[in-house]
Amino acid sequence: MQASRARLFKELKEVQREKVVDNDIQLVCDDSNIFKWTALIKGPSETPYEGGVFQLAFAVPEQYPLQPPQVRFLTKIFHPNVHFKTGEICLDILKNAWSPAWTLQSVCRAIIALMAHPEPDSPLNCDSGNLLRSGDLRGYQSMARMYTRLAAMPKKG
Amino acid sequence: MSKRVLCKFFAHGACLKGDHCEFSHDWKDQSNNVCTFYQKGVCSYGSRCRYEHVKIGTISSSSTNSIQQKGSKAVEVTCPSKISVGAEVNANLSIHVELSALSSPFFPPAWKQDSGEQNFPDDDIVGNLRDVDRPICSFAAAGNCPRGDRCPHIHGDLCPTCEKYCLHPYRPDEREEHSIMCGKKKQHLDALKHSQEIECSVCLDRVLSKPSAAERKFGLLSECDHPFCISCIRNWRSNSPTSGMDVNSALRACPICRKLSYFVIPSVIWYSTLEEKQEIVDNYKARLGSIDCRYFDFGNGSCPFGTSCFYKHAYRDGRLEEVALRHLGAEDGNTVIAKDIRLSDFLSNLRLR
Repeated sequence: MQASRARLFKELKEVQREKVVDNDIQLVCDDSNIFKWTALIKGPSETPYEGGVFQLAFAVPEQYPLQPPQVRFLTKIFHPNVHFKTGEICLDILKNAWSPAWTLQSVCRAIIALMAHPEPDSPLNCDSGNLLRSGDLRGYQSMARMYTRLAAMPKKG
Repeated sequence: MSKRVLCKFFAHGACLKGDHCEFSHDWKDQSNNVCTFYQKGVCSYGSRCRYEHVKIGTISSSSTNSIQQKGSKAVEVTCPSKISVGAEVNANLSIHVELSALSSPFFPPAWKQDSGEQNFPDDDIVGNLRDVDRPICSFAAAGNCPRGDRCPHIHGDLCPTCEKYCLHPYRPDEREEHSIMCGKKKQHLDALKHSQEIECSVCLDRVLSKPSAAERKFGLLSECDHPFCISCIRNWRSNSPTSGMDVNSALRACPICRKLSYFVIPSVIWYSTLEEKQEIVDNYKARLGSIDCRYFDFGNGSCPFGTSCFYKHAYRDGRLEEVALRHLGAEDGNTVIAKDIRLSDFLSNLRLR
């Protein structure tokens, strides 16, 4: 408990120092609870998520960093490895391949990488996975872009 | 007699004289607890001195005479209760009581006296020696000898490593020994300085700035060179596999490079070369190898680590365990080493109908 708190404070300090450098990721800690974080990440360019801003919610366990944080999308996203309803993310480093050397910041980077390189063979969103597996890249891209416009972009006018 | 007395400087690990020291460098010898200032007749601590105020052995008679000739302030009284100090103590050897403190209340302590006037008992002997046999001056080595050119001891040359004047000009073997030792010490200090900066990637703290001494240790991985605290890396590796993490690809792997390491070596210092790492690993294994394995329990138990165990597998009579590995041909044609097979393994699975 004490160790995880100390480590999270270190990360918070690091995030506040680095904010200017990495403007694709904006990590914010809950004012009253250091175990609750939210992040805003920009959709990677040259993907259907480009231009969108996605919100992530982190729930950090007390055993952190020996146990991975639980992360889910708060913003709706059409992606083979993200659950369409709950926002749960299927990513090995958040499950069985976690390493205590990862930080919340690097988890965000991993999620951005996952958005750019979906893994259709272990889908949480079967519709999206099936589109990709059947080779309908165009169908997947247009669906993903539509949901990005609907949910992840500021409404115009 | 002094050869049989343990050197005080040696006992603190700081004797500069090495083999040439007139005192013993053998731990078996007893340390001398006799006050040297008292032997010269002046000890400003008087009865509060932590050393014994007795005159000992053959030198005592001459020194007593000199004191009396000089008309020193020490007055000889006999103390009936202490007359039976030892067989060596003869009638002439009575207990001296200092009256100096009474007669001159502001008598400076012995170490504050102007050293030029001070009467060192070994000055005459030392002055007549050949240069090779003259001991090195420890005042000069420490930085400043108050007696300067008049010092009967040899003033050493400057050691480039420790920057002390402690190299004996006429004893080449001693110089060499000192240079080697000094070099090693400096290397160790440099390594320690370098180690201060190193952070653990798990807790993100500097390893050597941790609050408790037990935590201020590195945990070295056998197969890669990424630094961690010993507690962090051990906690991570002992993380229960039920938490969903893969044992071999995550828990036993380096958190940074994911290289699989089978053991962690504790070390208070971080290495900069592979030789240094090897030395740390070898020392660690040698230390564990001298400890009896509690699983093996002198042959009464069985150790799950078998021949890979770092601890000592010896029977009570000192014999080491001898293991004959059983090689079995596997189905695919490879040879495998059979694990310990016991009859109980079969019996526990056996179902009696």
